Amino acid sequence: MKVQVRNLDNISVLDCSGDVDLYSSPLLRDALMEEIKADGPSVLVNMSGVTYIDSSGIATLVEGLQLTRQTKTRFGLYGLRPNARSVLELARLHKVFTIFETEPEALEKIGSVKPFVGI
Amino acid sequence: MMKIAISSEPRLLNILRCVVKFRTQQAGFSNPECECLALAIDEAAANVIRHTYGCRHDALLALELHNLPDRVEFFLEDWGPKVCEDSIRPRPLDELRPGGLGTFFIYSFMDECSYDRDFKEGNRLKLVKYLSGKGARCNNEGSSEKSG
Repeated sequence: MKVQVRNLDNISVLDCSGDVDLYSSPLLRDALMEEIKADGPSVLVNMSGVTYIDSSGIATLVEGLQLTRQTKTRFGLYGLRPNARSVLELARLHKVFTIFETEPEALEKIGSVKPFVGI
Repeated sequence: MMKIAISSEPRLLNILRCVVKFRTQQAGFSNPECECLALAIDEAAANVIRHTYGCRHDALLALELHNLPDRVEFFLEDWGPKVCEDSIRPRPLDELRPGGLGTFFIYSFMDECSYDRDFKEGNRLKLVKYLSGKGARCNNEGSSEKSG
């Protein structure tokens, strides 16, 4: 799995690719927490290259979301493949996360997303 | 029957997923079903590594697969302390917290889930998936649903 970080107009974009599992999720966690703590207004996770995600990967995303409650960071996911989307839906998390279809949509709309305040 | 043994290193979970996908495709499951079954086995093995072995990477776990006419049976063996079966239950989904989803996925994707109480050393987890979709199954979009 690889994680690369881009900064586009004050939006941090984490480009993830490969399998996110027990072995690789710590890498995603480190990058995600660093970007959220960096105090930028918005963080997006580009999931279009994620070929597999297990509960440890989902736990990492949930942890990131929970951290944004403290930092007031806007947080969103985009580019989910059907298998990743179905896992989120099964866990009933698809309505907890802000999910966009494409990068242009995510970049356009993340600024109007309210920071997570909990459920 | 096929049996594969790996050391308890998280980076090797990918091997188990590949084996499960390959054998379940051979058994006649759809691709989304195969992905769900691979996820369930991955979660069960990850639970062994994290909880039974306490993240030790020098222990052993083994996966046995039986392709039968109406089902696939998986046996996941470890040689750690005995687990308390009653303590392994899916958590409520209305709680937003990072952990505890793995067991939920196992129960969602498998039709049967039980421990072999006669296994002398360690644990032997039996997971069964029926081809007919007797219990939980994945639809063509890959999400899980229940059937008859």
